[in-house]
Amino acid sequence: MTAGTRRTLLLIPLGLAALAPVAMLALTSVAGRWFYPDFLPGELTSESWRSLLDGNRLAGAAGTSLAVAAATAAVAVTLGLPLGRALARLNGWRRHLGAAAAFLPVAAPPIALATGLQLALLTLGLGGTYPGVTLAHAVPALGYAALYFLGVFLLLDPRVEDEARSLGATRVQIWTRVLAPMLRRPIAEALVLAFLVSWAQVPLTLLIGGGAVRTLPVEVLAFVRAGQDRYAATGALLLIVPAALAIALGLSARRSEPAPL
Amino acid sequence: MIADRGGRHAVPLSALLAALPTLVGVGYAVAAATGLIGDGGRGFSLDRTAHVLAEHVVWRGLFWTLGTAAAATALATAGAVLLAVTFRGTGAADRAARALAVLPMAVPHLVAAAVFVLLLGQSGFLARALYAAGIARAPDSMPALIYDPWGTGFVLALAWKELPFLSLLAFTILATRGSQLEETARSLGAAPGEVFRRVTWPMLWRGILPGVIAVFVFIAGSYEAAVLLAPSNPLPLPLLTFERYTDPDLERRPDAFVLVLVGLAISAAAVAAHEWARSRQESFEA
Repeated sequence: MTAGTRRTLLLIPLGLAALAPVAMLALTSVAGRWFYPDFLPGELTSESWRSLLDGNRLAGAAGTSLAVAAATAAVAVTLGLPLGRALARLNGWRRHLGAAAAFLPVAAPPIALATGLQLALLTLGLGGTYPGVTLAHAVPALGYAALYFLGVFLLLDPRVEDEARSLGATRVQIWTRVLAPMLRRPIAEALVLAFLVSWAQVPLTLLIGGGAVRTLPVEVLAFVRAGQDRYAATGALLLIVPAALAIALGLSARRSEPAPL
Repeated sequence: MIADRGGRHAVPLSALLAALPTLVGVGYAVAAATGLIGDGGRGFSLDRTAHVLAEHVVWRGLFWTLGTAAAATALATAGAVLLAVTFRGTGAADRAARALAVLPMAVPHLVAAAVFVLLLGQSGFLARALYAAGIARAPDSMPALIYDPWGTGFVLALAWKELPFLSLLAFTILATRGSQLEETARSLGAAPGEVFRRVTWPMLWRGILPGVIAVFVFIAGSYEAAVLLAPSNPLPLPLLTFERYTDPDLERRPDAFVLVLVGLAISAAAVAAHEWARSRQESFEA
């Protein structure tokens, strides 16, 4: 097989794998009666989308998810940025230990995180509440944010800060006049990353939220398990939107701004 | 320097902050698993741990979880390497292929699992397509690809889900390394297969190894994909943990903490492996 045929043969399944899932979800989200073995639905309906606009369960859940994910992103980046900066200034085993500590909540099975966190949050009276679920989401999100900023600050020359200091900048000025402008892009990217960690979270929401906090993934999971495919597909498409937007924005930003950092 | 000393003190503290909730969870799990606190706690004893670890269903679940995670990771890794090596050029087809490969990264795990339920279920898209093609004329003539003991649907869904991430890593490595080493090997008389085996593959493998480890541990801990696609026998470790944790029988609930510790042990091993792979990569780049 020549290289050319192999490339063409690979492009077809690649395109299918990338586009067919979204097409399947879109079709399922507008399928009315659709009996086996019909390949296409017998009738189409916009019912699930119309009721979404009317503010049904899915719409409420999407609102909840937006709020929780935005709050999670704010918490994770506020703590993760100084943490990543501190880790980047370490050398040798200290940095490895610190990075491993930040990686722990990322690598720990969500179920393990949830069982431990549930106890702490129940004790604080935050079980089944929005702040409780947000704090729980912030634990893995902070891990991601810290590791992300570790990478950012490893590339950022610390002498930039020394230079500003020697020119008479105060601690606050170094942050507001030097670091903040330089870090605008990384901060935006870290906010998106932490938002997405919370946006897709399932087990932490189930255990900490105790059924009272109904985020979008929790509703979609319930619809899939109940066999309500049309609603499940509608919610699933909504779940893809933020990350798809982020990827599109990231690509266009990268194109317009060739030198990152 | 003063600033440096301040930094050194700040670090263990702030790193601890990130790890603290997890560490508290581990501490609680250890105490609950050994009967020191919680439901059914009657003072320190390893009886519960020994009892849980003697259960057949635990070992079957653990092996299922590790086996399917390894299979899905291997599939995704092989796919990523194949795509990276095939589409590393600068032509339009190469760029289109790289964009297509990375696109599904936007899909959350839950959605990936839901898509595979719609695709592989007994009256799913595949069954309907096979019917239309005259191959399988009844829903039950379609082999079970979800909830099956082998985890076929689970492995395929997660391999598909993780392929974009590993592909992106592989693309980036080949793009930043360039092809100098390979051209040198070729000019020294290496055959194409040999160039791949002795130059491209070692370079790629070193670079994507941390990502591969992260993917493995992520799949092994995955809850939502397992809920939608995995069999109930063997029951995957995350589902078994959840089931015990919410067991109506309060006596059995602390079992979950023994299972939590098993899951954490897998993660801890992965974190150590990840750091080792990353530091090797750093020293390779330096």
